[in-house]
Amino acid sequence: MKYITLLLFVLFSGYTSFGQTITGIVTDTNEAPLPGVTIIVGGTTKGATTDFDGNYSIMANTGDILQFSYIGMQTREITVGSNNSIDVTLQEDSEQLDEVIVTAFGISQEKKSLGYAAQNIDAEAITKTKQTNLVSALQGQVAGVQITNSGGAPGQSARIVIRGINSLDPSADNQPLFVVDGVPIDNSTIESGNNETARGLTNRAADINPADVESMSVLKGAAATALYGVRAANGAVIITTKRGKSGRVSINLNTSVGFEELNSLPALQDQYGQGFSGEYDPSSFWPSWGAPISEVALTVPDHKYQDNWNRAFNTGVQTDHSLSVSGGGENATFYGSFGRFDQKGIIPFSDWARTSAKFSGTVKVSEKFDFSGSINYTNSGGNRVPHDRFMERMMYWSETTDVRDYINPDGTMKTYGNTNPIYDARFSTFEDDVNRMIGNLNFNYSPTDWLTLSYRLGTDYYSDSRTAITPGPKGIDGEVPLSSTGSIEETRINSKDITSNFYITLKKQWNDDLNTTLRMGNDVFQRKFDRVIGRGVDFVIPDFYNLNATSQVFTNQDKTIRRLVGFYGDLMVNFKEYLFLNVTARNDISSTLPKDNNSFFYPSVNLGYVFSEHADLPSWFTFGKLRGSWAQVGKDTNPHVLGITYEAEDVFPLNGQVGFTRNSSFGDPELKPELTTSIEFGTQLSFFESRLDLDVTYYKSNAVDQIIPVPISDGTGFSEYITNAGEIQNSGIEIVLGGDIIKNDDFQWTATANVSMNNNEIKSIREGIDEIVVGSQFGYVGSSVTMKLVPGEAFGNLYGTSYQRAGADENSIFLDQDLPLVIGDDGFPVKNDDQLILGNAVPKWFGGLRNEFTYKNFELNVLVDFRAGLQQYNQFDNFLSAFGKPEYSLARNDFRVFEGVLEDGTPNTQQVWLGQGVGPDGRDYGAGYWRNAYRGVSENFVQDASYIKLRNISLAYNLGDKILDRIPFKSLRISLAANNILLYTPWDGFDPESFSAGAGGNAVGFTGLGFPGTQSYFLTFNFGL
Amino acid sequence: MKFKYISTKLFTLGLACMVLSCDSYLDVNANPNNPEDAPLSGLMINSTYESAYNVYRVGDITSNYVQYIASPNPASSSDTMEPISNDVTWFRLYNVMTDLSVLIDKAEEEGAAHYQGAAQILMALNLATGVDIFGAIPFSESFNFETVTPKYDSDVELYASVMTYLNDGLNNLQGETTASIGADDFIYEGDVAKWISFGNMLKARYMIHLKEVQGYSANEVLTAVENGLQSNEDNAKVDFFEQSVNPWFNVARNNADLLLGGWISEQFIQALDGTSYNAIDPRLKLMVGTTDTEEFIGTENGAGRGNAPEQGARSTLIEGQYYTSETAPLLIATYSEQKFIEAEAAFTVDKARSYQAYLDGIVAHMEMLSVPQEEIDTYLTNPGVSMGEAAFSIDAIFKEKWIAMFLHPESWNDARRYDYQYKNMTLPVNLNTELNGQYIRRLPYTDNEISRNGQNIPSVTLLDRIFWDVE
Repeated sequence: MKYITLLLFVLFSGYTSFGQTITGIVTDTNEAPLPGVTIIVGGTTKGATTDFDGNYSIMANTGDILQFSYIGMQTREITVGSNNSIDVTLQEDSEQLDEVIVTAFGISQEKKSLGYAAQNIDAEAITKTKQTNLVSALQGQVAGVQITNSGGAPGQSARIVIRGINSLDPSADNQPLFVVDGVPIDNSTIESGNNETARGLTNRAADINPADVESMSVLKGAAATALYGVRAANGAVIITTKRGKSGRVSINLNTSVGFEELNSLPALQDQYGQGFSGEYDPSSFWPSWGAPISEVALTVPDHKYQDNWNRAFNTGVQTDHSLSVSGGGENATFYGSFGRFDQKGIIPFSDWARTSAKFSGTVKVSEKFDFSGSINYTNSGGNRVPHDRFMERMMYWSETTDVRDYINPDGTMKTYGNTNPIYDARFSTFEDDVNRMIGNLNFNYSPTDWLTLSYRLGTDYYSDSRTAITPGPKGIDGEVPLSSTGSIEETRINSKDITSNFYITLKKQWNDDLNTTLRMGNDVFQRKFDRVIGRGVDFVIPDFYNLNATSQVFTNQDKTIRRLVGFYGDLMVNFKEYLFLNVTARNDISSTLPKDNNSFFYPSVNLGYVFSEHADLPSWFTFGKLRGSWAQVGKDTNPHVLGITYEAEDVFPLNGQVGFTRNSSFGDPELKPELTTSIEFGTQLSFFESRLDLDVTYYKSNAVDQIIPVPISDGTGFSEYITNAGEIQNSGIEIVLGGDIIKNDDFQWTATANVSMNNNEIKSIREGIDEIVVGSQFGYVGSSVTMKLVPGEAFGNLYGTSYQRAGADENSIFLDQDLPLVIGDDGFPVKNDDQLILGNAVPKWFGGLRNEFTYKNFELNVLVDFRAGLQQYNQFDNFLSAFGKPEYSLARNDFRVFEGVLEDGTPNTQQVWLGQGVGPDGRDYGAGYWRNAYRGVSENFVQDASYIKLRNISLAYNLGDKILDRIPFKSLRISLAANNILLYTPWDGFDPESFSAGAGGNAVGFTGLGFPGTQSYFLTFNFGL
Repeated sequence: MKFKYISTKLFTLGLACMVLSCDSYLDVNANPNNPEDAPLSGLMINSTYESAYNVYRVGDITSNYVQYIASPNPASSSDTMEPISNDVTWFRLYNVMTDLSVLIDKAEEEGAAHYQGAAQILMALNLATGVDIFGAIPFSESFNFETVTPKYDSDVELYASVMTYLNDGLNNLQGETTASIGADDFIYEGDVAKWISFGNMLKARYMIHLKEVQGYSANEVLTAVENGLQSNEDNAKVDFFEQSVNPWFNVARNNADLLLGGWISEQFIQALDGTSYNAIDPRLKLMVGTTDTEEFIGTENGAGRGNAPEQGARSTLIEGQYYTSETAPLLIATYSEQKFIEAEAAFTVDKARSYQAYLDGIVAHMEMLSVPQEEIDTYLTNPGVSMGEAAFSIDAIFKEKWIAMFLHPESWNDARRYDYQYKNMTLPVNLNTELNGQYIRRLPYTDNEISRNGQNIPSVTLLDRIFWDVE
């Protein structure tokens, strides 16, 4: 902690000053004084900065050139004349082209010098989205970056994928590396354990308070990330947190309150109630196959459709407060913040909260040595309701029984038989409590002007303490308990990351035209993870929940350690400010791979050519650059997966004996690292004084020797074989188009659009393996849908059963829905049990459009995002159809002649009844069409999941100077925002964006019975002091 | 200063890594959670436990088909013989066979012939269990990891393997061993003589399946029976544990707590309460519970509970009975089953012996359930039970065996061999329409196999029979 003391010492030690020759005041165009403006006497090392009121003084001679520079402003040069007083007005720098991108290791680079595509998101764009999860805040804002919120639960994870899937491993984290202030942090999502139902846990990047973020840049290609090594093989999100600025101390307070509700519901029937075969039965398991509700209501009082699907959900409430203090002097700055976020979700009893505190500082000890550091503490967690089970139990719950009336006075469940979802949500608790400390220290030492030694040390420690309780019986007669025994599961997770990075920077200006920078370094990473689970079953005292008071106790321990050592070099060449060449090379050694294959080398090269600075272009052609890159990046695997091992299942010891079984997962002892090779070409163009900007990128990447845990027949003696099993190719185009459509003093309209297209293909999979299952989700009577990898086909294909088609090509693996249905002798469509491709879960297109309008003190922001060309398995719909709940199942007493042809090709004319039991035609239809036939055909449930969403709309008002002068605030901003309030989609169901697997895996395309998506409204105040 | 010290230290470390080698720093990949090798007894413990559990897992599927159990919900897929993917059961069968294959090889290497022999008996048990429900399954290309898509061996070939495993196992159990089985054996606690009788009993079980198949020899079955179990004392079973309760107990407990399951089929109740046969069976009250009014009322398969409430109006499994106490045994093979095998085998060659074995089978089961002697006697004097050798028919054997094999998967093998001809047994209501009004003959291959090894799966329907199920 010594550095903090030093920092504070320097902070309060005042400012240095030079002579008295020239004085003046520096202001912006609004005549507001600018503190902290740097003034340098050209050609000398003499310099000064302005004070709180914008005043400066500097010693200079007549004829000297004074350079005034300030972040975000155009630099001005003024020649000293005879006047000793020089007041300067600085213009805002609207030139987007000098945009600075923070790249690997926190190195700021001008965007124009990059040979690859990168995009920057500033603090304002992040906070305007009102997302609590940093990942969600990127939604729709960056080309090539697809964000999917896994559901609407408080604190639930969001998934980020850059330029498509690179690793085919179903459980692979295809997400980019998150780097905060130069040091990688953990963004894993640890879902609930094997004994637990889905709980919608948090991706760890959500522990970062978005209000602390200054900017995020997304490095997409392998070229951008070769320097971070294997962990950044999927790209990197470089987060720069806020720092204090030289000048006066500023205090900011943000406070906001928000409300959320369900944003979409499937179309449901409200005509038929509890029972089966059209008969009313108030204790039936079947919620909606009974008699017409109106008919039963004649004899049964209070019998009505309860509208449970609207009534089961609450209005969620969230509040967010954050306070920051920052400031600094010439040689030291500081930033401190405190944040508290609270959310109550729409499923009753779901909540999440985050408390965060951050302190950072920078100290410039001398011209040769500076250092900085930050420490970020977060406490987060909440009660994670069993959302999958909630939705499943909603499915089973009688539509004529009030779901809200769930508890008896004695605390037992009020039910006719089935489990009440709200009772379960209330008492089957799962609480997580994360304490996390992220810290980093950075040192830079420049003994000479061409040499800098830098060292960064980062730590990311967290403990996650989880308690899951399912109560057992209370011992009250007639109660329906949630479980016969009850159980408690205590999970303790400790994860410790340490990152050490040392590098040397050598700079050389060879002549006026040629400038080079060479970096060489060493990078060491270690993650130690330890999870201990104690599970107690069968409470001996009702309602007393402690492991000590259970009659069976099971324990489980899982420890892992992963170490990586990397060596790298990075050469940048700048020729005449229009040709930029960058060559990198890296060698990584990973502890997770077999010793003979654990060291791997990969290079990259990229070139940027700013032709607008080289060739004469018409004046409206402001800027033009071409860029290209070629890069490789390697990837290791998870720790401890190699070879054959034996495990003792949790049930042991029994009678003091511990049994062992061979682990069903077998890791290839000859495993090699994965290698991704990518190329990228792009251009960045700007016209009419930067009023119109266009950035286009084409990329193609091939990942070979993919490490995949291939699910294999249990008949082999293993269920999973981890091996180098395939190659995937991703290619695509990204376009970013921005324009200042209207730009005058009072009114501005800026629009930025981005569109991405991704194509991928499984080039090959390992010999002996025909296909690889990525994921599968249950559907009734054989309608389960599977995502499989098949060589020559795209990633994300969904396979399932379909209706038989007349004239279908027997060898085709695709379903041709244009062909007529084959109708069987029984008059119903014939089911085809072959697994055909019914759709693909990866969007062909996605993107977003942001419009910003500013009128005087008002700002209006509208962010729309979309995805198109994808299908998902609608498991909700499969369940709904099995339980007689969807609107289309109203056709349950109709006669129908199914359109199609008979085996012999003649049109079907047979009329059949769709109901249950013996129909009016005297024929016994058993459980009826919807249960016998419809629910068993996957084709019915693999549906178009495209959408266009009004992701965010916000209106803000900044108080004008006249009012501000009379109140003690420097700034005051009031804004109203709404998220997801409009959704256009052909999908019939809850928000198609929600999916069941959580952010950690690749098995998208399965909506499951996840936490439904929400829409939300916010009111925010932002005070500056 | 501290940071200088740290940076110097880490810089030195980095440099040391560069200059020397990172080998030891990076040599941390040995699995800290699971050992790379397991002792013989560890594998034995797990294999005996899991083999018994597999009897439950399969019995849980088949008990609805043979109408011991009926679902309280109408049109439940377990009753109506719909295709259900039994991925867990399939996995568990292969998981224990994998362990047994490792155990056999390891025991052979170490000369631990008794471990090897016991493992071979259990291999035969699990393999035959799989073949009897699924038919052709992977085996000859299994466990050695030469392919990830093992071919399916025909059910006929696999039955030959079952016999080979049993014969090899018996040979090994009768030989010398370097290590003796003991408390790591949850079935017999190391009693080798009982293992030998169990092996012979299984030979009899799998040979009687082949009664309608060419090459069947009644005398071979009878020889195996003679070397088989000698009394209920020899029953192959695993008594369950407080730490891991009997799974049927769990079903009963859940049902008592209104998490419904374990409802008794109307067929079973009516077979024992004097409705279908004129004998009132004293075992009924020891096997299942009554209604609140102390009646035995069953539930019709596929029909659900109708207007009956969740509790008190139907017979269900209840806690604390022979099959359903917390530490109740899971029965793998019993003396009474063997007696009925003897009865069936002897029926055509020595009817007197057959009749006696039939009566002994009933008594053995009753004794196992601790039926009082006078009630046993009363039951045996009923002319419907003791019909005399002349009137004694194969139907009587199948009926009594069905009762004695309550909840056991072997009953489904019997039911199919007997063509479900139990008196008054009828198709479930809401029968899967694809069965065209017939009983199910096999389980479908699992969803996992379809997606992982689909090319090798034989094309079959639920009506295609296992080779021993001759029409």
